[in-house]
Amino acid sequence: MEFKSVSDVKDRLEKADYITSKEIATVVFLAEATNKPILVEGPAGVGKTELGKAVARSLNRKMIRLQCYEGLDESKALYEWEYAKQLLYTQMVKEKISDVVTGSGSLSEAVDRIADQEDAFFSERFIQPRPLLQAIVSDDPVVLLIDEVDKSDPEFEAFLLEILSDFQISIPELGTKKAVKIPFVILTSNNYRDMSDALKRRCIHVYIDYPDREIEMRIVSLKTPGIQERLLENIVDSIRQIRSLDLKKRPCISETLDWAQSLMALQIEDLSFEVILDTLNVICKYRSDSEKVRDYLEKNHMSGNAAWSISS
Amino acid sequence: MVNLILKFVSCCRASDIRISTSEVLDCLTQLQLIDILDEDQFKATLRSNFAKSRREQSRLDRIYHLFFHEMRQDMGIAERDSLSEHIEDIFDMLQEQAGEDAALGAILDFLSGDPLAYLRELRRIQREFQDSTGNTRFNLGPLASRLQMLINLNTTRGAIAQFLDDNHTQITRENRRNLAAHFNEYLDSAYAMLMNEPRPYEDNLRQVRAYEKRLEKLGEKSFSLLTQKEIEEMREIIELLVRRLKDIMSRRFASNDRGVLDVKKTLRRAAKYQGVPVEIMFRKRPPRKGKIVTLCDVSSSVWSAARFMLNILYSLQECFTKVKSFIFVSGLAEVSEIFEKYEINQAIEKVLSEADIEYNVPTDYGETFRDFRKSHMDILNKKTTLIIIGDARSNYFSAEDGILEEMREKSRRVIWLNPEPEQAWYTGDSEMYAYKQHCNEIRPCRNLNQLLAFVEELIL
Repeated sequence: MEFKSVSDVKDRLEKADYITSKEIATVVFLAEATNKPILVEGPAGVGKTELGKAVARSLNRKMIRLQCYEGLDESKALYEWEYAKQLLYTQMVKEKISDVVTGSGSLSEAVDRIADQEDAFFSERFIQPRPLLQAIVSDDPVVLLIDEVDKSDPEFEAFLLEILSDFQISIPELGTKKAVKIPFVILTSNNYRDMSDALKRRCIHVYIDYPDREIEMRIVSLKTPGIQERLLENIVDSIRQIRSLDLKKRPCISETLDWAQSLMALQIEDLSFEVILDTLNVICKYRSDSEKVRDYLEKNHMSGNAAWSISS
Repeated sequence: MVNLILKFVSCCRASDIRISTSEVLDCLTQLQLIDILDEDQFKATLRSNFAKSRREQSRLDRIYHLFFHEMRQDMGIAERDSLSEHIEDIFDMLQEQAGEDAALGAILDFLSGDPLAYLRELRRIQREFQDSTGNTRFNLGPLASRLQMLINLNTTRGAIAQFLDDNHTQITRENRRNLAAHFNEYLDSAYAMLMNEPRPYEDNLRQVRAYEKRLEKLGEKSFSLLTQKEIEEMREIIELLVRRLKDIMSRRFASNDRGVLDVKKTLRRAAKYQGVPVEIMFRKRPPRKGKIVTLCDVSSSVWSAARFMLNILYSLQECFTKVKSFIFVSGLAEVSEIFEKYEINQAIEKVLSEADIEYNVPTDYGETFRDFRKSHMDILNKKTTLIIIGDARSNYFSAEDGILEEMREKSRRVIWLNPEPEQAWYTGDSEMYAYKQHCNEIRPCRNLNQLLAFVEELIL
């Protein structure tokens, strides 16, 4: 067990620049203590992937990341035989092959002799480990981040099951590879589709929501050192209001951070109506969204009841 | 501790959260590692082991609250001592009254701090919904059992009040008030559980409202208001757009054809160079966008949107492994064949004239879902995207949203397209509210812009 207690997890994640709630810290603690994978769900941009990175930083481990997408197959995720290299070697050792074959009485004897050499071609020399195999055979413990697992196909989920419960991979030609050091596995899901029960059963689940006001403020002040208290409050309050609108893409924490950084770069101290309008494209990634926010702002600005800081 | 958790687990199971034994074991091991006196940690552990998706969390949270907060036995020890005798009397009286009645017995258990039987009763009522197939299309049965439960709750409440009244000489006024408050609190929470079933948290449901207004006039006009001439125009536009989408698709797959080594082809090529494999060939991977199953309501208002949808889907057929379509009013008919055989415009005409379906009946979504479950459930698998186009107006027939949940479990995604303006969704006989919680995505689809935004997301 690398973490001592739940609060130890929280402190160490914080040292790794990741501020989190007690619930998430508990889950990370339990996952580490019991060697179980974590399945992280939540809207885009709340720091699901970042959690993986932060855990890797706080445990001082290498992170291996596997990005999932539709059509991801075992040759991209587990391992692949390097056919080109195999063919090349075959060509190069052609002479050697004839050495092996010479002296064999019949054709079938020659084939048998070659078959005896088969192992040379299906050995680890010709295998190219992909992220999952890398994580399993690595000599140092790693953090394995399987990102957006909901985008993958059902077949891929099936490959994952063996790894997640037994930490091993079966390669037909070589046998079963067991984990040298059990990796810390984090799966993230955007809930594009439901994951299978079998997969869910093997993981512990945590849902990360948009952070509450206080945590978001701490995150922003951590990532943009030197920000003024008042500006910080204004930024977070404004973002929270924009988030409540019906947008194509809601601004997430990374957008809050981008915004805070751009405002700092522009040396703005007061978040006025005009400033928000001018910097809107940092927050909104679609034109229709910017228009919606602009309408909303104007309405509030006109009626003067803005909860925004504008009045101050 | 173990007993407490086991009890909690059986309550969860009684309200339809699937928890496996291995999960219980995991949870118990994990509880030894944390500080169980810290509620945040304790709750997080139960939550992360027993509710494995956001959808289940709301149900779990509710039972957690019921189990560890409402059912707490902390009326104050001193107070309890003076009251316990009376509480026992009341239980004896209720026991006598309940006799063999299962529902009353469940309420009694609930009052004594064991919600399991009551939760089972609630689930039984809910189950009746789904099992009452065939005989009736109305949900009167479940409504009646719900009412019966309500009456039972009231009887119990009355009996307790009566008991306190009858014994006003033996019990002090102070104690009477405490007793009444104690029982009423429990009865209130039982009542709340009966009346409001927990709904899954909705933040996972994708509700799309914003879209790009790409085409000015025609793009924004509602499908149901189109004139014949505009429909013709629309077809041309759709053709153009479909061609553009196909271009994008082919470009994507052109750069994506590196797959598994094709030994046969490589060797054949190698023959050209005296057996030296200079060119290495890979097997092309087919576009894999999975299967699409559409259920289209063909009552007149919806059909105008559905036909365009089908038009586009079938023009883009090569982007999917398979497109299967059904139309329904009250009961289903498969029309995939018509669309495969005929050119698209012809097919749309033919569907209305030839499909084996009764048009002059009120729309009944419940019947449609039952029909689907009976004969077509097997076409859904984890690669299928199920698209339902309809206004969810089921003429007050039983909604059967449980079947939709089953369909969700079988398929990759369930998307509901509603051709009504959103303001009208939850009015009148629309069951959108009930159906929405079983969908992965809901979106309005009443003009070309909205439709295009949807199709584009579907294939790209």
